[in-house]
Amino acid sequence: MGLLSILRKLKSTPDQEVRILLLGLDNGGKTTLLKQLASEDISHITPTQGFNIKSVQSQGFKLNVWDIGGQRKIRPYWRNYFENTDVLIYVIDSADRKRFEETGQELAELLDEEKLSGVPVLIFANKQDLLTAAPASEIAEGLNLHTIRDRMWQIQSCSALTGEGIQEGMNWVCKSVNSKKK
Amino acid sequence: MKLKRFHLRYYPPGIILEYEKKGCLRSKSIDLFDLTPATNPDELVAVIRQSEPLITESRANQVKQLILRLQQKQGQKNHRFCFIKELKAHVLPLTNVAFDKSGSRFLTGSYDRTCRVWDTASGTELHRLEGHSNVVYAIAFNNPYGDKVATGSFDKTCKLWSAETGVCFHTFCGHTAEIVCLAFNPQSTLVATGSMDCTAKLWDVETGEEVAALIGHTGEVIALCFNTVGSQLVTGSFDHSVSVWDVASGERVHTLIGHRGEITNVQFNWDCSLIVTGSMDTTCKLWEVVSGECVATLAEHKEEVLDVCFDLSGQLIATASADGTARVFSATTHQCLVTLEGHGGEISKICFNPQGSRILTASSDKTARLWDVQSGSCLQVLDGHTDEIFSCAFNYEGDTIITGSKDNTCRIWY
Repeated sequence: MGLLSILRKLKSTPDQEVRILLLGLDNGGKTTLLKQLASEDISHITPTQGFNIKSVQSQGFKLNVWDIGGQRKIRPYWRNYFENTDVLIYVIDSADRKRFEETGQELAELLDEEKLSGVPVLIFANKQDLLTAAPASEIAEGLNLHTIRDRMWQIQSCSALTGEGIQEGMNWVCKSVNSKKK
Repeated sequence: MKLKRFHLRYYPPGIILEYEKKGCLRSKSIDLFDLTPATNPDELVAVIRQSEPLITESRANQVKQLILRLQQKQGQKNHRFCFIKELKAHVLPLTNVAFDKSGSRFLTGSYDRTCRVWDTASGTELHRLEGHSNVVYAIAFNNPYGDKVATGSFDKTCKLWSAETGVCFHTFCGHTAEIVCLAFNPQSTLVATGSMDCTAKLWDVETGEEVAALIGHTGEVIALCFNTVGSQLVTGSFDHSVSVWDVASGERVHTLIGHRGEITNVQFNWDCSLIVTGSMDTTCKLWEVVSGECVATLAEHKEEVLDVCFDLSGQLIATASADGTARVFSATTHQCLVTLEGHGGEISKICFNPQGSRILTASSDKTARLWDVQSGSCLQVLDGHTDEIFSCAFNYEGDTIITGSKDNTCRIWY
């Protein structure tokens, strides 16, 4: 519904609606993940120039997922979307070792953002279908995830292509929203 | 009383009389909304003379010439739009687009936090209005003057700029959530803003001060419109209600209750007697301004009504729906006159050309379409955008179109 859908999803979400922000470097698989969640065709996905929004039903929640483009030139605009976020999902290309440092830095900056303070974070160690993919444990160590103490966090290995691991991650999202609301 | 001179108003058709009364210069308008190229001008002059004593025998021929000019203007039809230019306007999706009165310049708002002022003929960027710290969502020129621009942002502020130099005159601070709609009053002395904080506010263009807070809605205020004379403002809200406000006092005159879903757009007709509202409840309602009564419910769409508008003369109403169709209704009989079918997705924006002979629609199917109001047939498919079209607009002459898309570009057609 055009611009109205943006306003509708912007407004303070009632109890059963959850606003999820999907971030990560370009080519990490955010849009593929989003489409996989919505059970849509994933064969022709191009770099996201702006954003995609989808609503997905899961475990009694309506998850409004905002997938924001990850290219360097549009990363400064991520903060446009921070407000009212319930859960942050950060997607990492586990096979792109060259960019682990860059992705770690972006994540650290996100966790420092005031508007995202206390927001639970799920890290998807994506592209586990590739042989060269680093295991989630190695990524967790590399990113010093164990030093995060101001929020709930979780790392989940997955493949957006095959769908493996995604449901487990989303289960954690629903669980963390539940425990936050209590 | 002494008639001094005539002014011509092309859209909606009318003749403005400037006359002297007790030493003061005054004006009044003769509205000719029923005028068509087929109208007999001599008969029309005779009808006007019956009710208008200022038009004396000696002036009759002059009036006839003016009527012929208006008819000539209406005769310009069958304009076929050609794609002229794609502007890679922004690094992130566009929000709204707007023309100045002449159509020589237009505005684009974007998720990249800027608003840009463009020269229509050359497609060059005249000014980049930078300063907002979040999405620039609502934009407007102070038409008919066109020397100022207002921008409303998700950063909760509204800014007033010089359209000539790009300098920011004022930043209106006071809303506590995103600003999502705004309008200048016709005199260009006030800006009205609507916000996700459930209020609307009026701001003084000259001083930059808040003039009034319009408090009463219990949901987000997402649409607003001044009437033609600037005495009233109508606001539509996600709380399912519509409010009419007296601009001078800031008091609420009416609350229009009846919709069973979020309001999507609101508009006054030209003579300020009616308000049309569209809603997520799939209907569109027509309200009488004086009484605040609902006079008609237009319930023909199968899904949400996403946009609604009057033509400039206020005779017709166009509705756009998530069901992929648009419809045209008579504002007097409330009958559905034509259904515009062809889009392959939701229609989120609709507008008439100033002549009232064409309709432009913007859709999620990545096309905009031009329709003939009389027959309801699709005259042109404006395609080329690679993502959903969020906004579209005609200029005052009705010979130029701009479309703004989620693909970060806008396109000019004429």
